[in-house]
Amino acid sequence: MTASLTRRRIRIINQICWTLALCIVAIPFVFPFLWMVSSGFKSAAEIFGSPSLVPREWQWQNFIDVFKHQPFARQYLNSLYIAVTVTALTLLVSSLAGYALARMRFAGAALVALFLVSALMVPEEVTIIPNFFMMRWAGLVDTHWPLILLPTFGPQGIMATFLMRQYFLALPKELEDAGKMDGLSRLGVWWSIALPMSRPALAAVAIITFLNSWNLFLEPLIFVSSLDKFTLPLALSNFTDPYGMPLWHLQLAATSLAVIPILVVYIIAQRQIIESFALSGVKG
Amino acid sequence: MTSLSLNNVKKHFGRTEVIRGVDLSVDDGEFVVFVGPSGCGKSTLLRMISGLEDISSGVLKIGNRVVNETPPARRGVAMVFQSYALYPHLNVRDNMGFGLKVRKVPIDERARRVMEAARTLKLEPLLDRFPRELSGGQRQRVAIGRAIVGDPEVFLFDEPLSNLDAELRVHMRSEIASLHKRLGSTMIYVTHDQIEAMTLADKIVVLRDGLVEQVGTPRELYERPGNLFVAQFIGSPKMNILPVGSVAKALPVRPDSAAHVGMRPEDLKLTDPGSGLVSGKVLLSEYTGASSLLHVELPDGEIFLVAYDGPTIDADTTLGLTIAPDRLHFFDSAGQRAS
Repeated sequence: MTASLTRRRIRIINQICWTLALCIVAIPFVFPFLWMVSSGFKSAAEIFGSPSLVPREWQWQNFIDVFKHQPFARQYLNSLYIAVTVTALTLLVSSLAGYALARMRFAGAALVALFLVSALMVPEEVTIIPNFFMMRWAGLVDTHWPLILLPTFGPQGIMATFLMRQYFLALPKELEDAGKMDGLSRLGVWWSIALPMSRPALAAVAIITFLNSWNLFLEPLIFVSSLDKFTLPLALSNFTDPYGMPLWHLQLAATSLAVIPILVVYIIAQRQIIESFALSGVKG
Repeated sequence: MTSLSLNNVKKHFGRTEVIRGVDLSVDDGEFVVFVGPSGCGKSTLLRMISGLEDISSGVLKIGNRVVNETPPARRGVAMVFQSYALYPHLNVRDNMGFGLKVRKVPIDERARRVMEAARTLKLEPLLDRFPRELSGGQRQRVAIGRAIVGDPEVFLFDEPLSNLDAELRVHMRSEIASLHKRLGSTMIYVTHDQIEAMTLADKIVVLRDGLVEQVGTPRELYERPGNLFVAQFIGSPKMNILPVGSVAKALPVRPDSAAHVGMRPEDLKLTDPGSGLVSGKVLLSEYTGASSLLHVELPDGEIFLVAYDGPTIDADTTLGLTIAPDRLHFFDSAGQRAS
């Protein structure tokens, strides 16, 4: 009885020590976020005047001014629909292409895979100028198409394709055979068997793609010039006074609003996000 | 029910020929078992019949239809896989009804057929469970159920019991046998387990290197093996083979062409040293419960296996071995049966 009590006490002390240690380690990670949110409620003067996390005077007006300064609601919606479209398209293209590369024997399959890998090795910044000329030739500059097409068919799409391919390779072939015996076509096997069995990989691709698209900055900067076509990362850098100096209180309030969808996604799919990083081998 | 025939059927993978011209006919309602060593092509042949592998040349008929180019689902065959191949994201009911759903069978008819198959296989309490919630035997029954609901003309089994433990395998074997009796369907079964082959088959097809070595009833194959390979492959423990020359004096009669003589371990009887067909020294005695398996070393170093059910015999005991003349098997120099 005494021994068991002692063991329990040691376990509790152990837990407290670990929690404290983790809290201390978490401070550098959490503090910038808390500072950002609290600064969104401060006046421009107070942000740099007081290091306190609690505003002296809560400036709710900041969050109204964000929408007055530029068409922020429109820009928010732009980011949202572009991220959702890119995610849906990437899921479709990468799962189809990944399935073909994993399961279909066709002439030049190895060459296609080699081309894809080569494309991954080229930094995105290097291809941005040829991409710009291509989009200008197609009449797509200052539209949202480059922000949808480039991530879907660019390096992120290729990464997603490889991730799906690796997952499909691990699926038992007998299940596909069973599908064929049941009367499914190749596309039917993909839709009815391969996809439902690849939910973890699809979740990983969806999460990574959504986050990438949501945070995309370079492409909107290059391809979009109209204010009402801006996406959030671009819009956030546009909270400036007439002299080009940043309006920090508005910028930080807007940034606090911009992280809401990411936080919602994270809270809903916390487990899948961690699994997806493990599965894809990429960092968050 | 339907018959099936293969006429000079071949299969190449690139330059490698894995099925080298198979001729075979399977009658209505027959239970045919393909056996052979690993890599002999038995599973490939089954997959060619199912349509999962293309036929490089030759003709495959199911009923009176040539089905070389017919997709698997339109051949009237159903397959039970070694790994069961149940869809993990569907419950038992949906797994069994999936093929019917793909074929757009009305939902009422689908439910009726699934229930009927579930009743036959005693799967009713498991219908809402997922494959991960089932034992190996239950999964196997679901896999068979999935085949049954499609009401196929031919059932194909690809080593369906190899993932089960010994006890369950015996049980499932008898279930498959009674299912065949009840449905009366044509069934083709691939196994490397001789007991399964001998107990289930109406007809056994022994394959080696993509060729049929012999076709016959289990009794024919056991009692009159057509060649040395079949003689040694069918029967466990395997048949002892000696050159005729080494025992020529002791053999009462033999065909002129005989080059090898075969003796099944269970046909050999113990006798005094020097008085039988051969003599030798016991190297090892393996007690198996019902009997013992003696490893007897002959003077020329050859090891003979003898099934023996008498009192314990110690190692190093010298003994003679004899056999009834009608239990001897003779083979010519090409390895074919000599009669």
